[in-house]
Amino acid sequence: MEEYVGELWHKLVTRVADKQHAEAAVNLDEISKTAAIFFRALGGDAGLNLSAAASTRHGARRGWRDRLASSGERIELSWRDGETLRLPEKIDLFSERSLNRDMYLWLTALSAADVDDNLPWIVRNQTATLATLTRFPGLVSRYYRLVGALLLLRTLPSKLPIEEAAQESAIRQALQQPGSIYDLPTAKKPFQPVLLWTHPSPPVNASNKVSSSDGAPEREQSDDKNVAKSRRKHAAERTDMPDGKDGFLMMFRAESLFSWTEYINVNRPQDEEDDIERAALAAEDMDTMTVARDGETSVAKLRFDLDLPSAGEDDTPLGEGIPLPEWDYKKQVMQPDYCRLQEYVSPQAQPCELPTQLRRTARRLRSQFQALVPTRTWLKGQQDGDEIDLDAWVRQEADLLSGTHADGRGMYRAQVNQQRDLACLLLADLSLSTDAYASDHARVIDVIRDSLFLFSEALSATGDRFAMYGFSSLKRGNVRFNRLKSFDDRYDGLARGRIQAIKPGYYTRMGSAIRQASALLAAQPQRQRLLLLLTDGKPNDLDRYEGRYGIEDTRMALHEARQQGLRPFCVTIDNEANEYLPHLFGVGGFAVIRKPEDLPKELPLLYAQMTR
Amino acid sequence: MENLPFYQSHGSEIELFERAWRNNLPLLIKGPTGCGKTRFVAHMAAQLNLPLYTVACHDDLTAADLVGRHLIVDGQTVWSDGPLTRAVREGGICYLDEVVEARKDTTVVLHPLADDRRILPIDRTGEILAAPPSFMLVVSYNPGYQNFLKGMKPSTRQRFISLAFDFPSAAQEEAILIGETGIDEMLAKRLVSIANAFRALRDHDLEEVASTRLLVYAAILIKDGCEPTLACRAAFVETLTDDPETAVALREVIDATFGL
Ligand SMILES: Nc1ncnc2c1ncn2[C@@H]1O[C@H](COP(=O)(O)OP(=O)(O)O)[C@@H](O)[C@H]1O
Ligand SMILES: [Mg+2]
Repeated sequence: MEEYVGELWHKLVTRVADKQHAEAAVNLDEISKTAAIFFRALGGDAGLNLSAAASTRHGARRGWRDRLASSGERIELSWRDGETLRLPEKIDLFSERSLNRDMYLWLTALSAADVDDNLPWIVRNQTATLATLTRFPGLVSRYYRLVGALLLLRTLPSKLPIEEAAQESAIRQALQQPGSIYDLPTAKKPFQPVLLWTHPSPPVNASNKVSSSDGAPEREQSDDKNVAKSRRKHAAERTDMPDGKDGFLMMFRAESLFSWTEYINVNRPQDEEDDIERAALAAEDMDTMTVARDGETSVAKLRFDLDLPSAGEDDTPLGEGIPLPEWDYKKQVMQPDYCRLQEYVSPQAQPCELPTQLRRTARRLRSQFQALVPTRTWLKGQQDGDEIDLDAWVRQEADLLSGTHADGRGMYRAQVNQQRDLACLLLADLSLSTDAYASDHARVIDVIRDSLFLFSEALSATGDRFAMYGFSSLKRGNVRFNRLKSFDDRYDGLARGRIQAIKPGYYTRMGSAIRQASALLAAQPQRQRLLLLLTDGKPNDLDRYEGRYGIEDTRMALHEARQQGLRPFCVTIDNEANEYLPHLFGVGGFAVIRKPEDLPKELPLLYAQMTR
Repeated sequence: MENLPFYQSHGSEIELFERAWRNNLPLLIKGPTGCGKTRFVAHMAAQLNLPLYTVACHDDLTAADLVGRHLIVDGQTVWSDGPLTRAVREGGICYLDEVVEARKDTTVVLHPLADDRRILPIDRTGEILAAPPSFMLVVSYNPGYQNFLKGMKPSTRQRFISLAFDFPSAAQEEAILIGETGIDEMLAKRLVSIANAFRALRDHDLEEVASTRLLVYAAILIKDGCEPTLACRAAFVETLTDDPETAVALREVIDATFGL
């Protein structure tokens, strides 16, 4: 009963609060792109994602809740971990929209400051504030406006019991005179959240007993990587965790829904490994599937194992194949011979003709692409050339005779021959995610298959040298490299048969596949060498090859490719690609095809544009 | 030597240039656009008291544009030296800016000049010029990977000793702004801080980064009385991006630096 009333009350408060400054609310969605660029410009780590923070239960006394517009007892705090910068999904604290917007920018700027993470929380935030204000003096007036507005929302120390009042006074002073407070007095009740500061890690249920005297939230809660579809971290509405009176400082919502990707991202303890793996295979690494985890305890335990490669993993013999290195961004080291890649040819492939439904498009593409074939043409009126331009000569003589001034045009005809000196390797992602439906009638893999067919048709019309491979992986020992057409293979019935036989399977260890493709491409004598990657999502694999680790290894592999004089370019159908592809390929280095069904037609056209 | 163009040195590039010149070695300078390559060469030419011939390379540049051509004057053909030939005859510096923009069949004329033969054969006149000791060939290019499909042929590249330029350190860039435009130190600091913020966006959000040249432009506008945030928007934001959301973020950085 009490709980029921509590819920009603909760709804009421949130609704009232929601209305309060709804008209002035700024949503993360409106500002996320700006904030992300702002963050990077201020020196923030370019590899981080920007995401909405989960609401966190703060345990502060109720007076605070009443005053804190819109958030009720739930509150979205900002924090940053190794992969993600989290900001509130919406800020409507203040009645002035510009203040709400400034708060986003302030939190972003603060998170970009390079400050020792090990400082006590209150010192760290003041240090970051000072550093930010020093480098960006233009923020000073905005900061103090925000502080002034925020203090009006906080309970006055005079209204609090002694201990809490001391705490609150310290916080106020730290906000108003950053750099002047060295530690936070302790109190039984948690202090009111400081929304102008960031948290060193996901704020969690650090009780006053355990938490060190600085009062900082403990860093033990594992959070997710990217919550794919909605940027928001979902948190269940109800909780059966003990209330603030038990001395919890910040209570993370107990039942979080973790999306499948983030779930398998966690490095599981060994005993769970098998189950999870089976489940993971069954779930076919689809982002959409969500799995509920009950309670933060198990999640918190999982967190402890994060980054420690489990024993079994490293002992597994890697077996046959081409040894390839892999980049560990945390240690900043290249791990030599860390992966094994096996090249194979689909055994079931039978020679075949081009599928009938593609023939018309193929014919059109072929004639378009023939236009790219180099032809020798004569240019007239050149300053230099193989032959005299008689027309120009005659005109010049006539001009001279008639006393008109010569126009200075060239007297030669030159033959130009824009030789195409180009090799292209197309590398297609064949991981299990391509089994998903791209439209009502086609799976991603079907779209990729058609793309490979049309691409081959178009390229064989130009005479450009090209090769095609597919890839997938199952941990580092099995990077599968499917030869569809090598540079030396002809594009014939058999090559078509191999394209026809492609099947989705396993995971996406992009770095290894790129390294192998680069080696093959770098051996080509052509001056321009294009490495085209065709994919539907991020790098990922079971053994910690996910999230930032996978991204950074892929980035390194691409860097190596560029060092070898290759030009990597990515074509993707992942609508969220903007969040990570610029980091990998640079702004001009990729194209997102919004409608996957368009890929087969778009891919050859993109190629034509790039190589014209 | 009174008219020495202002040049703020980054390191040992002046010494290296002099050594290359004294030892008849051709020089390649690579670095992003607007980081002072052209200014450096102008400075060195003045310092060494040598005539300087600068050629901005492009797609349609022909060997004749460099070497020279016959012109028809009053019904007669007259040979006219190109800048490269003139630099060789006078024993000066020939500077080919953005050399990768020129086609390969154009840049081959540099080969015999860029190795120990140091000669320039002029096919059309049959003349073979031997370069005097004071002649120096300098080329530059911007190695951004946008240039990958163009690139420089290893056979050309390996004929040069190379100097890598990058954007100067903050203190040096401030000195450049002050030396170049006479703005005060505080303003120079802020402009450089903005530029470095934008440079952090290289490759991820911006294809081009703010060059020292753009900084100089902003400083000139402000010196002329332009309101600083306005000057910075004109010099940086609109030059560097066409994307509205990126532009908003860049403006926020400017506002955060200058205040509202
Ligand atoms: N080291 C420097 N010393 C003096 N001025 C510089 C320096 N670097 C850049 N500048 C300024 O930047 C402008 C652009 O430099 P420039 O030499 O034309 O660049 P680049 O040739 O590398 O494209 C110059 O006109 C000058 O105002
Ligand atoms: Mg995949």
